[in-house]
Amino acid sequence: MNQVGSVGLIAALAFAAYALVAGAVGGRLRSPRITRSAERATWGFFLMITMAVVALEYMILTNDFHNAYVAEHSNRDLLTYYKVASLWAGQEGSLLFWTWLLSIYSALVVWQNRRKNRQLMPYVVSVLMGTGTFFSLLVFFVANPFQELWANGTQAFTAPDGNGLNPLLQYHSMVIHPPMLYLGYVGMVVPFAFATAALITRQLGDNWIRITRRWTMVPWMLLGTGILLGGNWAYAVLGWGGYWGWDPVENASLLPWLAGTAFLHSVMIQEKRGMLKVWNVALVILTFFLSIFGTFLTRSGIVSSVHAFAQSNIGPFFAVFLAIILFFSVTLLFLRLDHLKSENKLDSMVSRESGFLFNNWILLALVFAVFWGTLFPVISKAIENTTVTVGAPFFNKVAIPMGLLLLLLTGAGPLLAWRKTSFQSIRRNFTVPLIVAAVAGVVMFVEGVRNLYAWMTLFLSVFVTICILGEFWKGARTRMRTAKENFAVALYNLTMRNTRRYGGYVVHIGIVLLFIGFAGQAFKTDSKGLMQEGDLLRINNYELRLSELVSGDNPNYEYTRANFSVTKNGEAFTSMHPEKRFYKASQQPTSYVAIHPTLSEDLYVVLAGLDPGTNKAIVQVFVNPLVMWVWIGGVVTLLGTLLAMVPSRVEREMAEMRQAQELIVQAGDAF
Amino acid sequence: MALKRSATVIVLGILLAATAAFADDARMPTVESIGNEVQCTCGGCVAPINQCPMLNCAEKAEIRAFISKEISDGKDERTILQDLSLRYGLQVLSAPPAKGFNLAVWVLPGVGLLVGLSLVVVIVRRWRSKPADAPPAPPAAYDSKVLAAMEEEMKSAGLH
Repeated sequence: MNQVGSVGLIAALAFAAYALVAGAVGGRLRSPRITRSAERATWGFFLMITMAVVALEYMILTNDFHNAYVAEHSNRDLLTYYKVASLWAGQEGSLLFWTWLLSIYSALVVWQNRRKNRQLMPYVVSVLMGTGTFFSLLVFFVANPFQELWANGTQAFTAPDGNGLNPLLQYHSMVIHPPMLYLGYVGMVVPFAFATAALITRQLGDNWIRITRRWTMVPWMLLGTGILLGGNWAYAVLGWGGYWGWDPVENASLLPWLAGTAFLHSVMIQEKRGMLKVWNVALVILTFFLSIFGTFLTRSGIVSSVHAFAQSNIGPFFAVFLAIILFFSVTLLFLRLDHLKSENKLDSMVSRESGFLFNNWILLALVFAVFWGTLFPVISKAIENTTVTVGAPFFNKVAIPMGLLLLLLTGAGPLLAWRKTSFQSIRRNFTVPLIVAAVAGVVMFVEGVRNLYAWMTLFLSVFVTICILGEFWKGARTRMRTAKENFAVALYNLTMRNTRRYGGYVVHIGIVLLFIGFAGQAFKTDSKGLMQEGDLLRINNYELRLSELVSGDNPNYEYTRANFSVTKNGEAFTSMHPEKRFYKASQQPTSYVAIHPTLSEDLYVVLAGLDPGTNKAIVQVFVNPLVMWVWIGGVVTLLGTLLAMVPSRVEREMAEMRQAQELIVQAGDAF
Repeated sequence: MALKRSATVIVLGILLAATAAFADDARMPTVESIGNEVQCTCGGCVAPINQCPMLNCAEKAEIRAFISKEISDGKDERTILQDLSLRYGLQVLSAPPAKGFNLAVWVLPGVGLLVGLSLVVVIVRRWRSKPADAPPAPPAAYDSKVLAAMEEEMKSAGLH
């Protein structure tokens, strides 16, 4: 199977390199035949990488421990779905997985555009396969997962069992978190490819923007979902009671998501008003650059991170690739500045356009702050030869105020009119939300919310929610009057008639819920104790009694489990069973946290282990308010994005019109 | 103008009241409050000592004991952090102090924000000073044959 995998990789590299050149030549010579050939090579790339992935998965699932990667990242007693996930557990496998996802995206783009966008496609294929060539080179020559296991560096042998999957990765959301994140990272190559093709062909009208917007929403949604799943994993597995620690690799995933968010907003100004053309191309370039930068940061080891399991010496290759992307795309952008002139003027400072501008300003300032804070330890080491840490205290001080401004714009922005918003309109739209938010603010203050950031977050959350619900309410009421529909039907028809707008509002509600969850962190409490059977630990209005400590064993790990019976306000509440596990294959310990989630707060219990002196259980308990709203907010954001991607009735009508216009043009050409 | 002035006064009043209402009382430092500002040096967790999940982490225990002793000596948070950085190096702090070269990490995000704002203002000014849109061009005259074909196609596409 190693040979099958290696053949797949080298063939994929050949196909990708051919498609890269043939795409460029086909575009330059305007030859449909060469372009088709490049597209077929893209299919070949997809098939060959798929063959390599199937070969590696086959070896993992059949415990073929003469393969070094399988022996390093899997073992016989690993559960099947964790075995499947071993594909992306290590450097070599995850790079192969990255390349495979790229091949899927590329094949989809080629298939979707087999009859349209024919002038753009040669260059789109060229860019996609340029990226494919880079990753194939890396997987074949630098991080090849199809190496045999060698004894003393001289003789191939088969290990009796593997070292197993890193215990920290043996968690259900970890099975899906990396694929989601990678789908997000990799998917950003598609908008970049279309932007580059539009720049090369000078077709910088509405078409590339329309294609790119949808192709950005998909990876943006997947990247966001991946980030939240990663947070869920950190929360449930790392055992420190939080879900976001501003770890460099977490930051690396946030950067392209923020830049993508800026693009998804500013693109609307170009669609509606023909403005911000240079800016939009620059944002697409930046988003793709940050996606590759994120992959580079995860793997290069230039910064300390909890993701140390993915580090290696491939950093310089990524640095060169990043330099090529930057040089090529920025040069192209400068060469095409004449074609990217704004078509309209700004009528008023108080308008939807200026709202989007401010949104982009804050988002990009946040990108810069997070980028700078993440890289500062490297810069400090290089310039001052001093090792410093830039962690949560820095990021919280810098990012929270910017986040609050963004939250304000989430509610205020959509209520501003295009071109110009009158004072009467502002008063009409914002009076009720402001009054409700002010009342809520006073109530929160009286109830004891004294943390300024938390109070502002909750105040703005109420304001934004009322603003957005008001939009649904006003729209539905209008339909009730004009179309004589009941409220539910009116709401449904309103949403389906403009899914993009109302899907966007749902996304904004999701963001509000996320912020409510974040605000809960200000009220987090914890307690620690050494406990033996029968002992009590009190935290807030909870009492945890350690009823028994149980030890056990299964083929994968040994464990110590603490069984707690919990009361709340003196009444029976629940039972909780945190574990300390010791994985046999990897010889590594890990904690299995017990969480009792509710809408108001999570009770979070960690068994850190047994104290060697007293043999008592070392227990840490957290009460984490509002965490559930982070996960709910994530789901609502996901659903809103999906809704925004559904073609609305208006869009379908427009598409029919476009189709009719094409027919008319064809008929005209025939005369 | 009067409206603008009243709005400014109201906003400033709210800000002042909020600052006073939410001002933190001078808090006594605790091991927990300082533990969020101090990085565990064990190398296994890359986390503040309050968050280091490693069982029997010797470094975490040592740093916590050091903080505890400093608190019992009556030192304030700033002095304790200084003493920690003298003993363990700057990397023990979760964020570097705002002095010397490290000032850059704190200042540049603000500079970035201001530069971005200036850019937005410049863009907005340029947009506003652009001449008004040209009136739309009159529709081009079509060949009568083409128009007839368009009519025919529109009928067949069901648009009539």
